[in-house]
Amino acid sequence: MTEPITVIGTKTMINGNLEGDEDLTVEGHVEGSINLSKTLTVEVGGVVRANINVRNAIISGVLVGNVEAQEAVHITEQGRVVGDITSPRVILVDGSSFRGSIDMGDFNIETTPGEIQRSTPVTRFEEDGEEEEAPARATTRVRTVPTRRPAARPAPARSSRAPAKPAAKKAAAKRKKPPAPKVRSVGKTRGKKKR
Amino acid sequence: MTNTVIGSSIVIDGEISGEEDLVIQGTVKGRIVLKENVFVEQSGVVEADIETNNIEVSGQVTGNIVATDKVEITAGGRAIGDIKAPRILIADGAIFKGNVDMDA
Repeated sequence: MTEPITVIGTKTMINGNLEGDEDLTVEGHVEGSINLSKTLTVEVGGVVRANINVRNAIISGVLVGNVEAQEAVHITEQGRVVGDITSPRVILVDGSSFRGSIDMGDFNIETTPGEIQRSTPVTRFEEDGEEEEAPARATTRVRTVPTRRPAARPAPARSSRAPAKPAAKKAAAKRKKPPAPKVRSVGKTRGKKKR
Repeated sequence: MTNTVIGSSIVIDGEISGEEDLVIQGTVKGRIVLKENVFVEQSGVVEADIETNNIEVSGQVTGNIVATDKVEITAGGRAIGDIKAPRILIADGAIFKGNVDMDA
């Protein structure tokens, strides 16, 4: 009993402000605020509806409120927390549930390798995207232009070749007339001649 | 150890209610409503109105006490306020100032 351990039992309800310099275990209900220089433990079955300022927090029960911890906040498998957490270390175990925001303080994003890899590709992607847009249009234009041209070229070439075989007079006549009808007539004449 | 312990460095400003034993080694201001036993230990300081079944004061209590069973102020205990309880024990060496009502 003389140990500096404070326990709020399962059947006890505290409504108000709670301050202290020792570990606090909550098995019951606390509403209001908690300011501790040591560790707050909310056990399974414990319910805390309070804004909390502690050194460490281990939440196995229910906590509704904002948490500010100097060292760490640990939400265990059975812990349920709704509120904002401000702490350099925040541990969310698989199975725990949490809704709110987490602020782990200021740290250099550049020193974190994962962040660099994430950030640089994004910028590259954006730059490439801008650059690619212009070349992509150019290439598509270039491609489309030549594909159209050769397609146009062979068609008249065939038509010119076909008439060249049967007779020079027909080819000359075809040159004067529009090319499309000439080709059709050439094909018909070929079939007639072969038959 | 299923009861509630308020440690020596703990300060509570508000209301404590419950249905289990309460041990106070720290400071409580406000109100205490219990259906069981309250122990105010030597280091305990209570500035609150207290409603409980039993209370044992070895520390310092400032406020009115209403107990359904018994109020005991031990040799090192100090209590300031009115006490209403069917049984009231004030030990030799205890300090008390206030009214006593033993009407059940």
